[in-house]
Amino acid sequence: MKTQLDMNKIAKGLRAHRRGKATASGGYFGAMQLLADVEARFRVPPRGGRATDPSWTERRLVPLAPRTLKRLEEITAKVRERGSSNLEPMQLAALILEKTTERISESEAQELIRPTRGASQ
Amino acid sequence: MAKKRTRRAGEPERILSGGRKRVLVVLFVPSVERDGKTPIDQACWVDLSLEMFGRVFGGATAYPKAKGIWRDDERGGALVKDEPVVVHCYTTPADIEAEHNLAELGTFCRKMGREARQGEVGLVVGDEYFAIRDFGE
Repeated sequence: MKTQLDMNKIAKGLRAHRRGKATASGGYFGAMQLLADVEARFRVPPRGGRATDPSWTERRLVPLAPRTLKRLEEITAKVRERGSSNLEPMQLAALILEKTTERISESEAQELIRPTRGASQ
Repeated sequence: MAKKRTRRAGEPERILSGGRKRVLVVLFVPSVERDGKTPIDQACWVDLSLEMFGRVFGGATAYPKAKGIWRDDERGGALVKDEPVVVHCYTTPADIEAEHNLAELGTFCRKMGREARQGEVGLVVGDEYFAIRDFGE
């Protein structure tokens, strides 16, 4: 995902050398961060039930392709196998959705509406 | 009361409300000195880094120890194995590009590099890796 930062300015300000592109949101770090998020944020509600993030107060029905649900189920099964958490597939979906929407920039949001505007003219 | 943002002519209407923290800064806090043997006070450096990120950018998270390796080309390609703690900090583009914030982050990295006798301090900002090797004040 583009961040459109002035990397030369950042390098100069840090007195650092640019060493090339990296990804910090995928792969091992991404998975570790996801698990750490689950462990840090999920709480068992005071009246019992499944552990969840107390800030998740909204509920919506989200249509999914069967393959997406299958993938979510596979990933959460792996998480449960490791005993890290009792994460449910749609809780994982909520975490991924939250992270992705947090990282969408203003310019990327503009890109999303551009084709619709063009089509209506 | 917050000042209402006025839109300039020709500027598209903003879609997203507020400035979300979407730039991830990752700092690697080492466990050993450059020789790969002498342990450093890693817990202290993790605490200091969290305090710095909290003060400058508003917050950060330190993850459990990982396993790492670094090739020291200035020592004949010696491989330095360590167990770094990875610290994540989400911030905004404006905050990470602000000169005073960069100066404070850079000063912290150089201090850690100098006092913990490192060959390099690694930092990921957004999607780019930055290496700090000159630890002069």
